[in-house]
Amino acid sequence: MAIDLDRCTGCQACVAACHAENNLPLSDPESAAKGRAFHWIRVDRYYEGEFPSIRVKHMPVLCQQCDEAPCEPVCPVYATYRNDEGLNVQVYNRCVGTRYCANNCPYSVRFFNWFDPVWPEPLPLQHNPDVSIRMTGVMEKCTFCIQRIQRAERDAASEHRQVADGEIQPACVQSCPAEAMTFGDLNDPESKVSRLAASGRATRLLEELGTKSKVFYLERSE
Amino acid sequence: MLRTDPWSEGLPKRCARITALFLLHAALSLAAVNQPVQFPHNTHMKLGLACVDCHTGADIRAAAGIPSVTKCMLCHAKLATNKPEVKKVIQYAQKGEEIPWRRVYGFSSDAHVKFRHAPHFEANISCATCHGEMSQETVAVRSIDFTMGTCLTCHRQRKASQDCAACHY
Repeated sequence: MAIDLDRCTGCQACVAACHAENNLPLSDPESAAKGRAFHWIRVDRYYEGEFPSIRVKHMPVLCQQCDEAPCEPVCPVYATYRNDEGLNVQVYNRCVGTRYCANNCPYSVRFFNWFDPVWPEPLPLQHNPDVSIRMTGVMEKCTFCIQRIQRAERDAASEHRQVADGEIQPACVQSCPAEAMTFGDLNDPESKVSRLAASGRATRLLEELGTKSKVFYLERSE
Repeated sequence: MLRTDPWSEGLPKRCARITALFLLHAALSLAAVNQPVQFPHNTHMKLGLACVDCHTGADIRAAAGIPSVTKCMLCHAKLATNKPEVKKVIQYAQKGEEIPWRRVYGFSSDAHVKFRHAPHFEANISCATCHGEMSQETVAVRSIDFTMGTCLTCHRQRKASQDCAACHY
């Protein structure tokens, strides 16, 4: 994924879309104060310069799907691992809730279910049937909308063709009104996301940690 | 919001709860489901109907689906209208209600399984592999109980994906 920070206006449409798509539990102010609010994607704000010539940088932060993921080696039950496609997968059935992964994640994008999720009526009626409802005691995080990836791959397979570039759109990418986010196959050098990642503007979040993350941020122009 | 704290429950109580759930699951999977209409699969299949004629999603969608009562009435508006079970169907249709079929197959939400029929149909897995030979059965009962081993055995033999995330997400 590539995120163009020049385009992001911090409107939070991606956050809302992610909540709806992935059956994220709602939080109350009390649990949010304890750091238990669920946001698979959040928009960080950075203020640059001195008043009055101040610039605000909005930065959507989601699971960076690292190639050298700090969360993976600390899991004692292999509930989080990198699959053949390079996705950092969380398997709810396996997770025993040690929370080591979240403590080891430098991006703070993993969330633990301290309680079974509760939604006020009528919100349970809008649950996405393609996404699990996570239960007490398991860790969860951004999946890059794996349900959409799986669906697109299976549709392409039944039509005997390859998945086209740009065919798969996670909920955040689809909802972004500024088209700041681009999703695609980094293994394909011809894909749009590969070209953006190879452009001079691309940086990674906390690159010095060597996580080899797969979310590229296109730096703002001056 | 009312929330129960799962960690406050003592170990013996927790073990008893899990055992009770296991026994309940075993009993449910063995018992025949009491359906509102005693639908004979064998009679319909003898007439030359295929599974996908009524379960129309099985070849192209995730869910195989249960036909609407209006589909039953395509034939039963005229055919076999004097039989007691068909009369029940006609009554539902006249009231404009769907038949409240009870679910026979499916995964519990705890399993976090996302099963899709279509890829299995395309891989030429017969319906009978998972649902039994319905041309011999009358009312659908759960004749084959799935475990992850059942799925994985077949996935290994056919070199299908064994990635956790292929099914669990």
